[in-house]
Order: sequence, then C-alpha cells, then structure tokens
Amino acid sequence: MSDIGSTSSIRRSSSSRPARKPAKSQLLQAILFCVAMLIIGLVLHKQTNGTSWYFVTGLVFGYILQRSRFCFTASMRDPYLTKSTTVTRAVLIAFAITTIGFTAIKYGYFIKGLPIPGMSYVVPISVATIVGGLLFGTGMVIAGGCASGTLMRVGEGFLMNLIALFFFIIGSLWGAHDFGWWKLNFISKGVTVFLPDVFGWFGAVVIQLIVIFLLFIAAEKWQEAKTGNSGSH
Amino acid sequence: MKEVLLDCFGEACPIPLVKAEKKLKELDIGDLLIVQIDHSCAMKNVPEWARKEGYNVEVEEVSDGEWEVVIEKTK
Amino acid sequence: MEKLSARMLKISDHETYKRWLKTAWPYLTGAVLLSLFQIVTLATTGNPWGVSGTLAQWGAWIYQALGGSVEKWYYFSSEGAQNVLKNGILNHPDSWRNFGIIAGALMAALLASQFKIKKIKSYKQIIAAVLGGLLMGYGARLAYGCNIGALFSGIASLSLSGWVFGLFMFFGAMIGSKLLVKFFM
Repeated sequence: MSDIGSTSSIRRSSSSRPARKPAKSQLLQAILFCVAMLIIGLVLHKQTNGTSWYFVTGLVFGYILQRSRFCFTASMRDPYLTKSTTVTRAVLIAFAITTIGFTAIKYGYFIKGLPIPGMSYVVPISVATIVGGLLFGTGMVIAGGCASGTLMRVGEGFLMNLIALFFFIIGSLWGAHDFGWWKLNFISKGVTVFLPDVFGWFGAVVIQLIVIFLLFIAAEKWQEAKTGNSGSH
Repeated sequence: MKEVLLDCFGEACPIPLVKAEKKLKELDIGDLLIVQIDHSCAMKNVPEWARKEGYNVEVEEVSDGEWEVVIEKTK
Repeated sequence: MEKLSARMLKISDHETYKRWLKTAWPYLTGAVLLSLFQIVTLATTGNPWGVSGTLAQWGAWIYQALGGSVEKWYYFSSEGAQNVLKNGILNHPDSWRNFGIIAGALMAALLASQFKIKKIKSYKQIIAAVLGGLLMGYGARLAYGCNIGALFSGIASLSLSGWVFGLFMFFGAMIGSKLLVKFFM
C-alpha cells in the first residue's frame, strides 16, 4: 500500500481527482478520548470484582481488531466469495497459538491435581451446535460482521452494525428463552468431547496442530488454484 | 482511456470488492477504476485482490476514514 | 486552538506516527496479538474470551427494564446467572469488556484519524442488519457462543464442539454469501 504524493505512477486526469477536503487531524479528539477511557478505568478500579481489568482487555481487543482489520467473517466468507484465504490462514494461526497457550495453562493445573480452568466452552455437540453454526454463519455474512466484528464496527461508526448489534441482543434473548427447549430435546442428548480425554494431553495438541497445519496448506492451495497466487498475510 | 468512479461509500464489507470485480470486467485495458471506500476492511481487501490479479493499484486517503482505491487495468 | 491543530497535523505527517498509529497492521500481526491476549485473558480471569453471552445478558436487562421477567427461564436459572442479573450491568465485568471492545476500536480509529460515521445507505442494509443480527444472536445461544466463544475459545480449549461449530459456520457463510449477493447488494 503506497502513499501517494505528487508522484503517482498511475496517470490520472485532474478532473477526476476529488476536491481535496481540508486536511484535519483527529488526534486531539483521540487524546481526549484516551484520557476519558483512562478515567473510566480508574473509576472501575474501585470495584473489587476486576471490572477495570476486563475493560482494559476489551480496549486492547478492540484496538487490535480495528488496527489489523481482523475479521472472522471474512475468514469464512472470502474463500467462497472472493477466493481469498489470507484472513482464513491468519485465523488458523491464531487457533494454533492459542491452542498451545491454553493447553499449557490448563496442563499446569491438571498435573497439580487442581480443577482445570476455562472449560466453559467445552460443551456438548448436538443438533443445536449444527443449527447454531448454520444460523450464526449465515447471519454474520448478511450483517457484515460477526460478534466481535459487530462491536468493532460500532466503534468505527457504522450505523448499520449498530442496528445489527441491537438485533443480535434481541436474537440472543430469544435464544435464551428457547434454550430450555433445545437443552431438553437436543443438547442433553449430545456428547461432550474434550480431546485430551480421547488422545491424552500431548496427543490432543499434536493432532489439533496437525489438523490446523493441513487446513493451512489447503487454504493456501485453494487460493493459488483459484487466483494464481497465494498472496501475503 | 476511461476513468470510472465507483462510489462504495457506506457499503458493508464484501460489497465494494464484489462490485469492483464486476466493474473491472467491463473495462478495457488501460482504463482506470476509482473505488471510493469508507470501510476499513475494504480498503485492505480491495487493493489486495487487485494486486493479486496483477493490476496497478494505489490507495489514497482522501479524508478521515475515506479512501480512493485506484486500479489500473493493465491486462 | 489553531496552533494546537496545526501541530497535530504536523505529527500526523510524521513517519513514526504513520507506521505505528495509522497504517493498517497485517492480518498476521492481528492473529498473534489476539492470541496473546486470549491467553492472557484465560490466565488472569480463569475463563477464555467471550462476547455473545454478555449480549444475551444485555437483552435480559433491557427486557426487565421494560417490565419483563426472565427469572423463570431455564437459561437464567443458575445461581451465578441470578446474581449477575441482580447486580446489574455496571457491576458486570464481561459487559465492561464488550464496552471496551467498542471503545478500543473507536480509539484506534481516532488515533489514526480515520473515524467517520457511516450512515445507512438503503433499506436493504436495514433488513440485512436486522436479519443478520437475529440469526447471529439466536445461533450463538444454541452453540453456547459466537465466533469468539464457541469457535475461537472452543477450539483453543481442545473441544471438538468448536470444530463442529466452525464447520457449520463455514456452510452458513456460504448460504449467507449467496443471500447477500442475491438480495442485499
């Protein structure tokens, strides 16, 4: 991505050049906003339940997502719609790194005989998982952003994603309302598979990393086959 | 040598790219497609796609949160 | 005031500013940093990162504010859930994390002088946002989470459920793409 000064290599008629809007900087508002967030963080710090830390991690996640234009929606939509897998591969790398980090932490507790933390997303696989995945995948592409993407774009000023957020909330409430029915009829009949239970800790990590690696290669090959090159990250 | 302006302000993520792809097919070699974008993801994935296709691309920030992606159809 | 904004403009032209605060990061950088802070989150809070569970919580609070009650719902029946409801949104750490994500993105855009309000362009966008939001919200509850919780955290937690969810998310994205091109462009 090159910056254009007066030495553009593409010749372009001056009539198509837009009237340059007067250059201004938002740095002043940015600094004021940072100060405001700092104050909020300090006020939250007075609460004893760690709210200020959650707020800080939220700020960090939001900042990283916006700066890198990271988008889980794109990782799943692009291979099909634009034949690109650069974001897909980045997501796979994130899976790999987090797998190692998470497992390291959990294993540390395990070998000490302590209860394993962070098992909140080790959940039963059932028809609900399948339906949930389909609904969520469809919805995120239509809405122009997944859960994190929606929050990020609200912060960037997209009013469309603000509407999406509002209806995400309503949909969630509706889902929570129906959850009892799904639990009774499907989720309770599901099976929870924690991979270390099946392959052992070491085996589970190795197998998962191999799967991620194979998917990575497949993604690379897909883009090459469809567009003739694999691009960069 | 035509210059075509494609206004994609306010469009959600994949739409600027899909529209740019379609428009570029209609252009002749040597034409310029100027895509106006205000979506942070699109200002990344449109140039990326165009470069992969082998076109000349330049991105210019024309205002706060507004970019013009200039694509020269070179082949 | 004029001098201050002139100085701000000068900083904005500086190479270091451009590199660190303005130019977009590569996806790989995002992947590494997000992973880092996911791990930090697990280590410091005892749980992985999640986004959509909180949104259901917000729905409950809004519903209660409008006179409704979720107390008899199975979803909110646990003691932990009842406590969260009682303590309110300002005391809810996860809610502040979601606020933080919005604020962090806003901050990033402002620091790069790239913030802009993007208004609705057509009624199609409204329908897309409504439909997409509802689908995501409902789907996330069925799967115990969204792309962050069920997918990202689930897979990182070595749970097969994450992979199953991901597979069907992928199929869903294909359906969504078809619908997008057909009806919402």
